[in-house]
Amino acid sequence: MIPPSIPEHEGERLAALDRYAILDTSPEEAFGEIVHLASSFCDAPIALITLIDATRQWFKARVGLDATETPRKISFCGHAICAGDDVFVVEDATADPRFADNPLVTATPNIRFYAGAPLVTPDGYNLGTLCVIDDKPRTLSGPQRLALRALARQVMVQLELRRQLNEVERMKMDFVSTVSHELRTPLTSIRGSLSLLASGVMGELPAEALPVVTVAERNSIRLIALINDILDFDKLESGRMEMELRPTPLLRVLERSIESISTFAMQEGVDIELHCGDVTVTGDETRLSQVTVNLLSNAVKHSHRGGVVRVTGAAEDGLAVVRVEDFGEGIPAALQTRLFQRFQRTDSSDARLTPGTGLGLAICKAIVEQHGGSIGMESAEGAGSTFWFRIACVPARELV
Amino acid sequence: MKALIIDDEEDVRYVAHLSLGRVGGMTVIEASNGEEGLVRARDEQPDFILLDMMMPGMDGAATFRALKASAQTRAIPVVFLTAKAMTSEVQRLKDLGAKGVVLKPFDPMTLASDIRTILTS
Repeated sequence: MIPPSIPEHEGERLAALDRYAILDTSPEEAFGEIVHLASSFCDAPIALITLIDATRQWFKARVGLDATETPRKISFCGHAICAGDDVFVVEDATADPRFADNPLVTATPNIRFYAGAPLVTPDGYNLGTLCVIDDKPRTLSGPQRLALRALARQVMVQLELRRQLNEVERMKMDFVSTVSHELRTPLTSIRGSLSLLASGVMGELPAEALPVVTVAERNSIRLIALINDILDFDKLESGRMEMELRPTPLLRVLERSIESISTFAMQEGVDIELHCGDVTVTGDETRLSQVTVNLLSNAVKHSHRGGVVRVTGAAEDGLAVVRVEDFGEGIPAALQTRLFQRFQRTDSSDARLTPGTGLGLAICKAIVEQHGGSIGMESAEGAGSTFWFRIACVPARELV
Repeated sequence: MKALIIDDEEDVRYVAHLSLGRVGGMTVIEASNGEEGLVRARDEQPDFILLDMMMPGMDGAATFRALKASAQTRAIPVVFLTAKAMTSEVQRLKDLGAKGVVLKPFDPMTLASDIRTILTS
């Protein structure tokens, strides 16, 4: 057996491969379809998309073969990437001194026929191949050779698209994160100055000035909430939200949430009632509190002065269920189906209250779903609303 | 109680100064960068330092390490001020040995009481 040689500019080739961030990723339909097409059109039982790193050939997509990678030194594709940009064909491996005693020839998958079209980057590096393999000696017809090359080009189109998407996603993440963080410093000064003025610690403001400053303060706080929500939502959408799932007493989550909202509830003249059974959930305490605080805040906003918001936590059918119930004006049926989407608001008509960011319920939904749970609501106009979420609870016997 | 604010942003120092001083009743001194902060910490021996994380030149982490490396400032508790609200970032700062972390933008009416709570915890 003759091991494949190393292509010229191997360092640059490996760097090019790195840029595609493709190695060891999950199967993807677009690549799966291409190997099936290649197998079918070339009438070969095995078809692979292989990418060759320093030590192995790794298969992004495969049909007819169980292995996910093989060593580079026994690979046929290692030879193919050194053979220029044409299809590399071995009609009978047993008759070729480079492959006759190759373990892939002498044992499973008993390769006899191999044809690999290189995957060539726009800057000319062969990253791997789209190859077809048979356990019988044969050759490729002219149309099959053309098809294999065309499909290999399609693999590169997909890889390039994928790389560009990753790049755009990374730029978006950087942008959201940088903008959000950069906005916080000036907002510290703006919000701080306005709060100090509105509080009266800098001296009493003229009667006509106070409401103006209060409007500015309220909206600076709203802007901060919006920035926090945009960051949270971005992290949830991209799966970068940090969650520490551990057994947590539900009562503690609910008590902590009520404590966070108590000043606001008191200002609005709304009482909060809590009924919670002895339930332990599997979840991130901070994030579950964030969900509950959000639901409570909405419930208080939609309650009448002197009203009550009822919070219940219970185990039902093996799941923990939290319900937050208000007895306010309810939510119009037309709006209910869109409530958990981004930038949908059901703000109270009370002009004194700071409007929401429109992301709160979308964030709640994403957090609950990351806990493997579900969230929903029922509402009747004029009779109030009940928002609920269900997540896994720890069976009592596991807590002993 | 004497507080030292180390932050390169003059406007943030101004608001934090008022929050700790006028609202919180503390004596407040300021430094606009890490090097100046080290000198003021050594000379003034504040009861705590509110230290901005992101500063040009000597940043919060480097200033913190220098404070802890000096016998004259080692015992002064440090509360970090940061715009990065990620749990991992807050944990990283606590792991460095910070007494606590205050996120920007802070509430000027509760900043002093929040820091007192951090210092007594």
